[in-house]
Amino acid sequence: MRPSWCLALVAVAALMTGGLTACGGSSTAPRSGNAPASADGFTATLRAARGQTVRWWLYGGDEKINAYVDNVVAPAARRLGVTIKRVPITDTADAVQRVVAERRAGKTSGGAVDLIWINGENFAAGKRARLWLMQWAAALPNARRYVDASDPSIARDFQVPVEGQESPWQRASFVYAHDSVKVPAPPRDLDALFAYAKAHPGRVTYPAPPDFTGSAFVRQVVSVKGENAAFAYLRRIKPYLYRGGVTYPKSEAELSALFGDGRVDFAMSYDSSFVGSAVRKGQFPASARPFLLGGEALQNTSYVTIPANAARAAGAKVVANLLLSPELQAAKLDPAVLGNPTVLDPKRLGSKRALFAAKRDSRYVLRDYGRTVAELPADKVASLEQRWTRDVLRSP
Amino acid sequence: MTEPRGRLGAALIAALFSVPLLALVTRAFADSWRAPALVPQELGLRGVRIAFSGETGTAFLNSLQVATLTVAIALILAWPAARVLGERRLRHPATVFILLAAPLLVPSYAVGSGLTEWFIRLGLDGSTTALVAAHLTFVLPYVTIVLLSGFGPGLTTLEEMARVSGLSPLRRLALVSLPASAPTVAAAALLGFLVSWSDYGSSLAVGGGRPMLPVVLLPFVGADPQVAATLALLFLAPALLFLVLTVRAGRRPL
Amino acid sequence: MSGALLRHPRVRNYARLAPVILTITLLFGGALAGAVRTSVLPLGQDATLATWSSLLHAPELVDAALFTLRTALISTLLAAAVAVAIALAVWRRGTWVRALLALAVPIPHLLVATVAVLWLAPGGLAERVLGALPITLVRDRAGLGVVLVYVYKEAPFLALLLLAAMGQGYREREEACAALGASASQRLRWVTWPTIRGPLVVGSIIVFAYVLGAFEVPLALGPSYPPTLAEYAFNATRGDLISGQSTAAATLLLTSVAAMLLAVLAVRLAKDPQGD
Repeated sequence: MRPSWCLALVAVAALMTGGLTACGGSSTAPRSGNAPASADGFTATLRAARGQTVRWWLYGGDEKINAYVDNVVAPAARRLGVTIKRVPITDTADAVQRVVAERRAGKTSGGAVDLIWINGENFAAGKRARLWLMQWAAALPNARRYVDASDPSIARDFQVPVEGQESPWQRASFVYAHDSVKVPAPPRDLDALFAYAKAHPGRVTYPAPPDFTGSAFVRQVVSVKGENAAFAYLRRIKPYLYRGGVTYPKSEAELSALFGDGRVDFAMSYDSSFVGSAVRKGQFPASARPFLLGGEALQNTSYVTIPANAARAAGAKVVANLLLSPELQAAKLDPAVLGNPTVLDPKRLGSKRALFAAKRDSRYVLRDYGRTVAELPADKVASLEQRWTRDVLRSP
Repeated sequence: MTEPRGRLGAALIAALFSVPLLALVTRAFADSWRAPALVPQELGLRGVRIAFSGETGTAFLNSLQVATLTVAIALILAWPAARVLGERRLRHPATVFILLAAPLLVPSYAVGSGLTEWFIRLGLDGSTTALVAAHLTFVLPYVTIVLLSGFGPGLTTLEEMARVSGLSPLRRLALVSLPASAPTVAAAALLGFLVSWSDYGSSLAVGGGRPMLPVVLLPFVGADPQVAATLALLFLAPALLFLVLTVRAGRRPL
Repeated sequence: MSGALLRHPRVRNYARLAPVILTITLLFGGALAGAVRTSVLPLGQDATLATWSSLLHAPELVDAALFTLRTALISTLLAAAVAVAIALAVWRRGTWVRALLALAVPIPHLLVATVAVLWLAPGGLAERVLGALPITLVRDRAGLGVVLVYVYKEAPFLALLLLAAMGQGYREREEACAALGASASQRLRWVTWPTIRGPLVVGSIIVFAYVLGAFEVPLALGPSYPPTLAEYAFNATRGDLISGQSTAAATLLLTSVAAMLLAVLAVRLAKDPQGD
């Protein structure tokens, strides 16, 4: 683990300093090239950001993300005079609740939250309540240069138009895991999963919504089968599930523990590199492998957003811009670091493409995520979770 | 109950309560421990390495600072009130007891989120003042209730004897009152410290992102048992120290 | 005249109580006021009782309330019984045993729950040692695992309260009674019980109220359905982000009021037989 961090850090450091010195003129502009007038506007932001400490609220239970932020992003930010203070939270909703509380108290500036890692329903709810800073994401230099703004998977977050209120950071694909020794041929699709559950009662389960992962699984079923057929499917499979479908794991971590202990045969996660992490954590056996159901995967993009009342918006914008730099995006491609695909447009990378080619192969990370299954509209998510509780959990 | 049987029973009960917790120590140093193994497959320091990266040190100090301040203030405020209540000098103590008990009947999360808005308006959110105030809401009742059990006719008699012997109020306090009530003060301090030290709900609501140990720990509990176990041991250290000191103090004869 | 007034015992008593009373009234009152305000003022809307009405009409609320009440009651009664047994067994022993016993007290509930999962879950250590467990203790509909964790955590706390009361002069009284020829059960009734009754009742009420409002343990061990009231409030903040705080505040207020009413009831019941 440590050597790969060192490598990533050294690589990023070399590239960043190389880029800086190559510029001559303004020492704060990240790189030369076809940078239009927006660079001047951003120069002002960079100047304002110097010396700021950005409080970035993000999920704290994943050591890979923590390490990436602490060891790769933070040093790069420090070089621009911005200090990142990572605020670990249990759920993104905690950060949104903080902003809501400040809004309720009438605090329109100097807020305690500068940057949030966010997507989906959390973002949509905040957007409806006008919590986020507007019209800033598309103006970032790296966004203009490397991000394809017309890509629907970037322009719309769970079908909600982003409208410049959040800046893309990561892509995620929903994958499943099986033990290649115990189950050499995992089910190919949902119907095969049903047949498997029937043949092996008590060996299949999923986390209960509103858990993030369980909710995603339900959404995949709904996307594939249509809503009513999906709930019929979940009711039909219920008696063959672990514990008879009466009680479900409350979180992805619980399901992973069950899978690691050999109580159930499959695990699932929106973190496409979760199998590798779990093996490294000692939670999964070394023979665990990822797979897809139906040759397709639910995909989403996750972003960072800035609350409208953030105290250090300039610093936050600088960090958001940094996250989109090819160097940092390439660093997280490595399965030993984060192992998830980039949000940058490959066609726009130009000379930077070389950074993305050298990623390591790993049997714990899929190379191809098949067909993309787009996420459902954000407001549908809550109603699906409630329907699951009524129609599936509480049904006899 | 004959002596040897009594001793065995006592030891058994004590073991029942402490052995499962030793599993925590093993979990902290087990890099890999999957069923059905009774012994970890792999031991290592991964938990230590990850637990101590990032904000843990700051969170530890913040929690320590808040808990110590809260307990100190609580003891000072509670001492006179506990004297009045413990010596049964009130004709209608019920009202006071209800007021004392009320904050304990409410989840700390409710206290925290109820106070947050006022703190934000006062510009105090995230400050030590806010955290201490929020914790004080339920620590003060605990401390008062435990403290009052140490006052009563026994202590009053001793103090009366000291007064008659000519000791000044200050010397009475230092030489009679404090030593005599030391076990109770220690117990009250321990409880107050623990309640503040391990509070999650109001630290989250009022802290405004300020690192506190329970808040840093919680995300790991479901997600990464090894790191959680390591942080748990860190959590326990001051609490256990405090506990041993208290129990020692509790054995002093009156 | 004012000098005499200040020396008046009643005034001095109130002056001594004032710091505590003022602090609690200010802070706790502020918290309650804030919660009430949040529950009727969802973000971006004017004052409305809509949150309360939709909460009270939610079918899940009744299930959650009953489950919470049942769990709290059983946990408290069992913990009290175990605490008395422990106190009786251990009160003569030394610091060593008390320290071991009290090891459970400083540990937060959530951690005890995590250790419980480590031991009691399917595939947990208990099963690895004993073979299959006869009953399900984790995520079972009856919430047995939850009760077990609360008993494990609260019984030592209550026992320590009892032992503190059994410190001063208890040994002398007990031995004096024995010397006078009282049997074990008579000593229990006339010496032990009066000594421990007070702390036991007070401690039990505290435990009951705490279990009523806590959510970390059911989160770790409890069934998916029904949730406890505090879990319900917690899920509300995760579900509907903007008005979730209102629902949560309303639920927590409901829980608090219920706890306070039940506590008053318990105190009434405890007082009646002795007329204390």
